[in-house]
Formats: sequence, structure tokens, C-alpha cells
Amino acid sequence: MRAQQNIEQFGYRQELHRGVGLADLIFYGLAYMVPIAPFAIFGNVYSESGGMPVLAYLVGMIALLFTAASYAQMVKAFPLSGSVYNYAGRGIAPPVGFLTGWMVLLDYILVPCLLYLVASIAMNASVPAVPVWAWLVGFAAVNTAINLRGIKMTVRLTRILIAVELAVLALFLLVGVWALLRGEGHGFSFSPLFNADTFTWPVMFAAVSVAVLSFLGFDGISMLVEESTGGSAQVGRAMRVALLLAGVLFITQVWVAALLVPDPAGLIEHPSDTAFYDAAAVAGGEWLRHVTTAATALSWGLVNTMVAQVSVSRLLYAMARDRQLPSFLAKVSVRHSVPSNAILLICLLSIGVGLWSAARDDGVALLSSLINMGAMVAFIVLHASVIVHHALRSGSDRLWAHLVSPLIGAGILVFVVINANIMAQLLGLVWLGLGVLALITLYALGRRPTLRSMPAGSDRR
Amino acid sequence: MDRLPLHQDLYLIAHDKSGKAFVHPTSLSLGLAGAALLDRLLAEPFTPIGGRDPAPAALIKGAAAGGIYERTREELLGSGVLVRVTGRRLGMLPYTRYEVADIAAVVRASSGVRAAVEGWKAPDARCAGLCGLVAVLRLEEQLYLDQPAAKLVARLREIAAGATPPVGELVETVDTLVAEAAIAVYR
Repeated sequence: MRAQQNIEQFGYRQELHRGVGLADLIFYGLAYMVPIAPFAIFGNVYSESGGMPVLAYLVGMIALLFTAASYAQMVKAFPLSGSVYNYAGRGIAPPVGFLTGWMVLLDYILVPCLLYLVASIAMNASVPAVPVWAWLVGFAAVNTAINLRGIKMTVRLTRILIAVELAVLALFLLVGVWALLRGEGHGFSFSPLFNADTFTWPVMFAAVSVAVLSFLGFDGISMLVEESTGGSAQVGRAMRVALLLAGVLFITQVWVAALLVPDPAGLIEHPSDTAFYDAAAVAGGEWLRHVTTAATALSWGLVNTMVAQVSVSRLLYAMARDRQLPSFLAKVSVRHSVPSNAILLICLLSIGVGLWSAARDDGVALLSSLINMGAMVAFIVLHASVIVHHALRSGSDRLWAHLVSPLIGAGILVFVVINANIMAQLLGLVWLGLGVLALITLYALGRRPTLRSMPAGSDRR
Repeated sequence: MDRLPLHQDLYLIAHDKSGKAFVHPTSLSLGLAGAALLDRLLAEPFTPIGGRDPAPAALIKGAAAGGIYERTREELLGSGVLVRVTGRRLGMLPYTRYEVADIAAVVRASSGVRAAVEGWKAPDARCAGLCGLVAVLRLEEQLYLDQPAAKLVARLREIAAGATPPVGELVETVDTLVAEAAIAVYR
């Protein structure tokens, strides 16, 4: 204890934990997921699910509750690390960790790109004179400037932003329900939850493969395990609560929106990126369309990108420090205390892929599927890590937590992946193939994957 | 004249004449905390850093979060190295700056590092530590040496790595913490 006494004699307090409590962990998870996330992909989920978006979100939530349970087990086992990359590397083997990190990179790298695209489409819906590509470049430039200046989220700002998003959601729900009571839309029905005419399991799992996008980010809570006042147990609890809260919010808003869709058959045939805003316009008029588009643009284009940037930077940093990616990605700007190389790389990729996606009719759907593909594969490996680390290696007798639950969770996700967008599957396989090639190259160069013990901080997933 | 403590030297190197910091406060606080810890370690009989409890990383983070930056500034104000200057921009907006009273203090603070890099004088452990921290905080420009930045940083790191064990280890720890602060979720 001598060194500690020294530092205290010197007049400095030991202040390691900022004390992020359960409520703030949940707020962070919600900020990452975005309580109004379905605004942006509602049209695609509605179309993919044959008009049953509520069921798609319900199944998605259940699948990810199993994932949260597996996260909780791995956070307990490795409380300094919040990364699937690390969990797979330590729980199974470093090469598996590398490939998992590689797959999850697909998710991380594309998330900022999708966020810019969605925000740009929302702004274009409000201001059609400015094309989507111009909004996209603008959002990317503003965000990169903000990130490079070292401006980051704070606990208080997170609370305020969540409150604003919830206020917009409450406004939509009030106006929407009032409109339904007035006889607008199609009146109350259970068809958004279940419609025997359109239901098939492949259709449902295909819809889930898009809908889970809205839930991605609940696992970001694991980044705060060291700041958590209640440690890893509290992190696991926060993940579950955040998922349940988000699930209830998502289900409620898509149910109301589904009942207000102006042309249900047309939307199923031709998915639209602005379907939610059209439903809002039916409920409250053009002003509500503008409120919902502005809220989407702000929450996806500015708030969520700040959070997403942190995640991708952490993963790039962790993999580069372990010499599994080029070392320049592990460099940070001391002047602004930001990972400037990673930020610039993501900016360039976002603009490049974003412009390509903006030119496609299915840009949002394809990007969403690709992102989900990366995340789903990583989550399946997470479940496998629980089984290998706890059930096989440690000989745990907790059958439900360490064997049955991860098996069920992985099983659902396997069905989701199998039924996902074909092009996303192909691109996902190509990406995995590139990862295998990169792994072979690392071995050929004598740099077989190893994981360093990070003394502090950790990376997401 | 007596040498200033290591963290005070680092503070002086890390600010311009008008008191503006060259690096982000988070990075600088970690560097100052590392310097303070190194000063204390060097004042005592050598013990390998890894054998200490709690870990140096935790101590450095604790000291940085505990306000080492402000304390160092107050110490320098107290000893007259810095002076508090107040005024109003455009006659309205109040400001407070902490300027160096005598620029010679800054020159003295970095003289050992310059001498070590140029090979005029062999660095002791303290000087090697300062070399390492200057490299970690990318303050090499403030040495006013006519060398390419990359080469200079490499040389500074080499000097730190070549010193007695606690120096190199501690500089590495500060380097890691500075990087981790840059990718932290919250400031």
C-alpha cells in the first residue's frame, strides 16, 4: 500500500470510480439503442414481416434477452473486458477471438454509415431540395469535426437526450392514439402482432433479421463495467432492463404506426424508408411528420453517431494493440484526446459506403442486414463462449445459465441468420472469407493472435 | 537553483507562455500524475512496479481524477513560477490566465531532456522519465530541437526504455492510460 499512501500524502485523492448507477447504465443502453429507432426502419420491418412488425420486434427482443444473459455470464467471468472479441478470444481461443472481432467490425464500421444515411433520408423527407447525398456528406463532416475536437457524451447529456427522444415518442403516441380513436387509420387490431394470412416462420425470421437493428447497442452497457457502482452483476441487470424497456417502447410505437399506415398492401409490396413519417402525417398532419423526421435526424445523425464512434474506436484500438490490425489504428491524438486515425478512417468509409448505399433503393435495408449479420454472428459466438468457458472448461453445473440458455439463444439467432437478406449473407460470407485470409496472413507473418491484458478500460463486445 | 518536482517541470513544458496547454487536459492530467508518482518512486528504494499494490495505473487514474492539474498549478503559483493574470476580453468577458513569471523556468524544465537527446549529458532516471513523458504527451516540439518529430519521439522513448525498470514501466503505463482515455465512453 506504500505507493497509495505516497500519492495520498501528496494530496491526491483516490477516485477511480465515477459511480455510474443502474439508472445511468440503462440510460446509456437506451441512448445507444435510440428509443425512437423504429422510426427509421419501420417500413422495411413492416414489409419483411408481411405487416406484423410487432411480432418481429417481440421475437427480436426475446432473442436478445438470451444474448444479454450470455453477456452477463461473460462480464462476470471477465469483468475488465466488455468485448465479444475478448470474450471469444479468452473464452474459446485467440484465433476465434480474431474472427469474431473481424465479423463484429462489419457491424461497427457500417453503423456510422447507416446512421448518416438514415438521418439524411429523414432530412431529405423534410427538405427535399437538398439531396440525400449532400445531407450525408454534411452529417459525416459535422460528426467528424465534433469527434476530432474531443467532444464526448456526458452522463447528464445522455439523460437529457433520452428525455427529448421520449418526449417526441410520447407526442407521437398521444397524437396517434387520438387519431385512431377519431377513426383515422384502420382502427385497433391485432394484425400487426399476428396475421394468419401472411405468417410463415421464414418471413418472421427475415423480419427479425432487420428489426434486431433497433436493439443493437444494449451490449454497449458492458463498456461501463468498470464505472458501474454495482460491478458486473449490475451491468447484466441493466442490459436486461434496457432491453425490456426498449422492447416495450418499440412494440408500442410500431403497433400504433402499423395501424396508421396509409396503404398497408402497398407498403408490404414496396418497402419505404419514410413509412413511419407517412403514418405520423396521417395521425397529426405535416407538423408531426417534421417533428418525427427531425427527431430521427438528430438522434441518428448526431447523438447515436457519437456513441457509435466510441465503440468502433475501442474495437479498432483493441485489435490494433493486439497487433491484429494495422498499428496506426491504435494511435490517438494527445492534443484532443481522441483516436483520430480511427475517426478519420470511419469518416472516409462512411462517406464512401454511404454514397453507394444512397444510390440504391434498398440501401437502408441492405446496410441494416449487413450490420445485423455481423452482430448476429458475434452474438452466436458469444453464446458459444459461455458454453465453452463455463460448461466445458470450468465444468459448471449451472445447466440453464451455462448450457441451455446459450443454446436456445444461439439457436434463434442461427434461424435469423439463415433467413436474412441473401445479399447480406453473401457479403457476410465474403467478409468472413477475408477475415480467414487475414488470419492466415497473420500466422504466415508469425503474428498469431494473442490478447493483451488491458489494465484499465475495455472495448465493447 | 533547486530542481522543481518532475510534475511541475512537465507542467511548464506542456504550456505556452500565456498559460495555454498544448495537450488535452485529460492526457495532461495523466502525464502529471505519472510524473508525480515517478518522483515518489525514485525518492524511495527501488521496488519493481508490478509488485506494488494497488497497481500504478489505478494510482495514476486516481491522482488525475483527483485534480492533480489544478494542484500542480497552485504549487507553481505558490512558488512564484506562475503568476495569475486576470482581465476582460473586449472589455467584457472576464478571463484568468496562469502565465510563466520567468521564461527561464521553462528553459530549465526542459534543459535536461534536450541535453539527453543531444547527448551532451547522460540522463539520470528522473530525466529519462521526463523524456518518456514528453514523448507520450507529444511535446517534442517544445524542446525546439532541429530533428524530425518521429525521430525525436523515438529517441525520447528509447531513453526512457533504457532507464531503470520503474521508469520505462511507468511511462508505458501512462501511454496506455492516455490511449484509453481517448477511447473512453464518458469524459
